[in-house]
Amino acid sequence: MNGLSVQGLIAGYGGEPVIRDLSFELPRGRILGILGANGSGKTTLLKSMCGILPHQGVCLLDGTDLSRMPPRKAALLCSYVPQRSGITIDLPVLEVVLMGFNPRLGLLEIPNAAMRAQAQEALARVGLGGRENDSFHSLSEGLKQLCILARTLVSEGSLLLLDEPESALDLRHRHKLLEQVRRWVRQRNGTAVLSLHDPGLALNHCDRLLLLKNGGCHGMLCPGETPPEEMEALLAGIYGAVSLRRCTDRTGRQQWVMLKEWEDEE
Amino acid sequence: MSAEKLLAGDAMQLQVFWRLRFGRMLAGAAGGFALGMAGFVYQTVFRNPLASPDIIGVSSGASAGAAAGILFLSGAAAVTGASFAGALAAMILSLALAGLDRSGRSGTIVLAGVAVHSLAQTALMCLKLTADPERELASIEYWIMGSLNGVSLQAAVGNLAVCALCVLLLFFLHRQILLLSAEEGEARMLGVPVTWMRLGVLLLATLAVSCVVSLTGLISFVGLLAPHIARLLTRNNQKGTMLLSGLAGGVLLLAADLLARTVAATELPVSIFTSLLGAPYLVWLLVGRRRRA
Repeated sequence: MNGLSVQGLIAGYGGEPVIRDLSFELPRGRILGILGANGSGKTTLLKSMCGILPHQGVCLLDGTDLSRMPPRKAALLCSYVPQRSGITIDLPVLEVVLMGFNPRLGLLEIPNAAMRAQAQEALARVGLGGRENDSFHSLSEGLKQLCILARTLVSEGSLLLLDEPESALDLRHRHKLLEQVRRWVRQRNGTAVLSLHDPGLALNHCDRLLLLKNGGCHGMLCPGETPPEEMEALLAGIYGAVSLRRCTDRTGRQQWVMLKEWEDEE
Repeated sequence: MSAEKLLAGDAMQLQVFWRLRFGRMLAGAAGGFALGMAGFVYQTVFRNPLASPDIIGVSSGASAGAAAGILFLSGAAAVTGASFAGALAAMILSLALAGLDRSGRSGTIVLAGVAVHSLAQTALMCLKLTADPERELASIEYWIMGSLNGVSLQAAVGNLAVCALCVLLLFFLHRQILLLSAEEGEARMLGVPVTWMRLGVLLLATLAVSCVVSLTGLISFVGLLAPHIARLLTRNNQKGTMLLSGLAGGVLLLAADLLARTVAATELPVSIFTSLLGAPYLVWLLVGRRRRA
């Protein structure tokens, strides 16, 4: 099929499986949100999908197994945004974004002027215009996430994997980030898979939601298509009792709002 | 020697300069440059500001090799060759041991380096035990303390050529070295074949260090100190900083050699002065990190 197909994925650490026999499909042009409690296997799933983590089963992008590709080819097709960037040395923000061009460059080649302009444009799109020469380490965690998103936006692949990209962002930037991802998916007819902690954000910005529980699929839902009662029941399986409502904001747009119901401590 | 007479073209001074000092100065500048550049590479690839070129046991291997050369061979060139072989053997052993772990983690190379360092130290101790205390043991100790004394252009030219080639390749690989500073998964998803690239870059850096230490003996702290001096000046890790790390290393080693030749009536080991500069800086660095934390 065209798009993403994960079949029989088993992955974990030290012989202990965290993801247990997971399968799902996602056609091109769609965003999949992964929701799950802490330790449910969201990060493990994303890492094994792109081949960083050894696993059994396959993750096919347009019929090609990503984990069997050499890193350069895999990076041309797929971009991965970790929870926190592991860059430990002082670098200007622009240099960090330019790293995104590496799969397209020869071993000793350096980014050209067009790539620099593209990187500056990506920085402006995520709200970091004018901060090209700032030190990456001087940025707050949220701004670092936006910088890494800009690095991802310059990639020419057709799959984005983002691991809790919103965890350090404020409300406005969370929505901006998801809008940028949607724009990227639309422009390239690509696919994006995001693990998220905010169910409200996932319900309003993702086409499909994969609910992970103990490393397995607790359910798959499509906001707007799946009946609200069914969505509520599935989400309650992860977060405990929740109330799901459809609200209209002042612009007339309908949005999902999920409230966590109070539970007696006893 | 006098600078005035040298500039005036005094024949004797010129002969002394070309025969005795030029090779020594060139070896000092180029050796310091290579140690500084290698330090930059090690600190970036291992993502550790305290990493230095001897982290994978090269210096210990070179020491054991030199000790074997002093005991079983004759002549300075043979000792240089033996120490180079020791350094090379230590490097190959470290990288081969690290290669046994298929995960390609950078920590594995450090652990392999610690094991090879211990092995080389044991070999060195055994060699020292069999050495004649009057002549051979003193020579081994003097070599371990490092000195540019006796380095001639003829003996150094081969080592310096290999060293220059490694440094040049590292300079052109700067972008890949920066990519290795990211976490392994992140670097892989930026298109870097992490395991092979890390091994290749470390091989080049270590080969350059091996070429230097086999000529000069052990020189402490230059590889650690020079990249920090460069970063203090530029506040980043771009190509200019890598180059500046090399220049800082060259200046440090030349300055230390100048002091080694002039401070006392007899020539002192150069590592005394590089350590005198390096150790307080290391303490300052640690205190600074604790304050920032």
